[in-house]
Amino acid sequence: MIPQAVLNEWYPVAMIALVGPRPGRQTQLLGSDIAVFLEDGQIVVQGAKGQRLAVTLRYGHVWACPGTPAHDLFPIPEADQPGRRLVDCGVVRVKCSPLRAVENFLDIAHFPFVHTDVLGAEPHTEVGRYEVQIREDSDEVWATKVHFYQPQAAKSAAGGIVTEYMYRVAAPTAAVLYKTCPNQPDAWDVIGIFVQPLTEEFCEVWPWMALFDDTTPQADLIQFQQMIFLQDRSILENQIPRLLPLDPGKEIPTQADLTSIAYRRWLKRKGLTYGAQMVAA
Amino acid sequence: MKLYDYVLSASCYKVRLLAALMGVKLELEAVDFHPGQAHKSAAFRAINPAGTLPVLVDGDLVLSESTAMLVYLAQASGKIWLGDATPASAAKVQNWLAFSARLGASLGMARLHDMLLYPGDIEAFRRTGVECLRELESHLTEARFAGRIFLVGDSPTIADIACFPNVALAPDGGVSLDDYPSIRLWSRAVRALPRFIEMPGIHRLHELKPTPEAVPPLESL
Amino acid sequence: MSGMWVANGLSQDLPLGVVMAGAWQGAELAIWRSASGRLSAWNDRCPHRGMRLSHGFVRGETLSCIYHGWAYGTDGACSKIPAHPAMVPPAAIKAEVYQCVEAEGVIWVAPAGSDVDLPDLSGLAAVRSVTVQAGLAEVAHALPGFVCEGAVWRGQLDGAAVALVVQDRGALVRIHALGTGDRVKVSRWLDGMMRLAEQGVLA
Repeated sequence: MIPQAVLNEWYPVAMIALVGPRPGRQTQLLGSDIAVFLEDGQIVVQGAKGQRLAVTLRYGHVWACPGTPAHDLFPIPEADQPGRRLVDCGVVRVKCSPLRAVENFLDIAHFPFVHTDVLGAEPHTEVGRYEVQIREDSDEVWATKVHFYQPQAAKSAAGGIVTEYMYRVAAPTAAVLYKTCPNQPDAWDVIGIFVQPLTEEFCEVWPWMALFDDTTPQADLIQFQQMIFLQDRSILENQIPRLLPLDPGKEIPTQADLTSIAYRRWLKRKGLTYGAQMVAA
Repeated sequence: MKLYDYVLSASCYKVRLLAALMGVKLELEAVDFHPGQAHKSAAFRAINPAGTLPVLVDGDLVLSESTAMLVYLAQASGKIWLGDATPASAAKVQNWLAFSARLGASLGMARLHDMLLYPGDIEAFRRTGVECLRELESHLTEARFAGRIFLVGDSPTIADIACFPNVALAPDGGVSLDDYPSIRLWSRAVRALPRFIEMPGIHRLHELKPTPEAVPPLESL
Repeated sequence: MSGMWVANGLSQDLPLGVVMAGAWQGAELAIWRSASGRLSAWNDRCPHRGMRLSHGFVRGETLSCIYHGWAYGTDGACSKIPAHPAMVPPAAIKAEVYQCVEAEGVIWVAPAGSDVDLPDLSGLAAVRSVTVQAGLAEVAHALPGFVCEGAVWRGQLDGAAVALVVQDRGALVRIHALGTGDRVKVSRWLDGMMRLAEQGVLA
């Protein structure tokens, strides 16, 4: 039985630009077959029994809710900010819990080892203190004042710099990060990870970006993001167990994992346990 | 020399890797293979009618097969990557270049299926991939009996570079490498070559760097 | 106390500074050799985030997880957490340690505290490890004339002794082969034996 709280959330199921006529994109959501296709100029998400799911088109993607939407899709105000370039990065399938994919996105301590010489490098491995809260008004998890040393944060940077991040869990399987933009210190680059839960142990991941960058070719932006995410993929497919443990005794966090601790607590509190392991067997 | 490139393509990586190992500078032009399908566009087909990646352009020369690009790079710079000059050695290298196409059609397709949702018979891709890995494992095991680690002769050649990417990336397509000890040691030997570069899915050998010295705390930076 | 000893590979396939995946019964293991040559076998799971330690890297006398670089000494205790360079890791952060020994070129694993009790493989040289996608019964069918003594099957190939140390993994069988004859000949014979055993599965 899938908890009602899980069914009433929004999930990404396709990239708007890639949706075609029937049969369209045949895929899965929460273990059930769905099809995403164009009909009379409208994007339709159809369940296995022919039922139509609630649909929202936003941030380059088709979002569907298999139950009764508990709320509107989360806002990303930067998506409407003039001058930003919105980039859809396509889809990558990963054999892991959708929740593990989100948790990895919230993690910075792995940068020197998994994204070596790009997002981090030894010996600059320290994660400083940062602030984490579950914001009651928006019902989101936020991490702020996250600082990390990056060897080459931009092509123009001669040496390494300390980059600041904010992380935000906006939905059970969607997170957004804000990262200082080296060329425009007063603005944040915005990168989203939208995760489609195919099953509890399989997901498809749709990275998305909203950047101030007029010069870099589209293909380079997409490939940079795909490179980063594919470096994570071999990690995600080799974590044991495949499900995300919500039992605090199952894995050992440190201060660097405060965002992950809050994310797990938030999931547990809200009953968003699809893809989670509740109690160690 | 300009390489039309896609960061997740095993075939593109073959060419980037050999160029890096040889110290040859390539001009890279990223092509939006996924999700843009730019390699199927009319503009791209004007460069390569086959609509495939990679493409290497050097003056009037346009190459669309990665193994031909390896031969071209190796011929152009000192030939040490072509093996010794004997007919047998040259033929063995060609044998492995052809074998690398079988790796692409099996392990490579399994990876595209599992990662980028390519259609096809995943069980057949994996089964033929395992057959290829067993052939490779048996060959490398015999090479080790003779005190060698690479595919042809005593030093690395384009044969190793052609085969390495789809083998090292096999787990991306759901094929484990745990059953192949000689392949594991060969893969380590390739990754330990000076100027080696990785691609997503192939981790760096962090052990090649010593344990880092302490640095000042983050707060002081 | 004594647990069963399970063969997990050949010494020649685990040089200094290398980690590989192994197994004891149903438990998945990371088996590694330090720079000084010390062998260790641990549960294949970093206590931090569950990442397989067999994907990690060996520096000196430590094995580090590839995910966040947490380093563990040969006693299994975490010695360094790179995200907190100044912190001494709590003693509770420890990999689950198995006993790991090697004899006559074969690596053996048992639960911690087991008495060492290994078959006699003296006089034989290691050849190679292969994995057969078949059960033990199909493998036995493909080995006519071989005699089974516990985990070791002994027989002859062209007058030379062959010993196959068997690691039963349920749906597949890993075989660590040793012999006195020509290694190339034994290696090629193993390729044929594998095909035979797997045809038995299909039949």
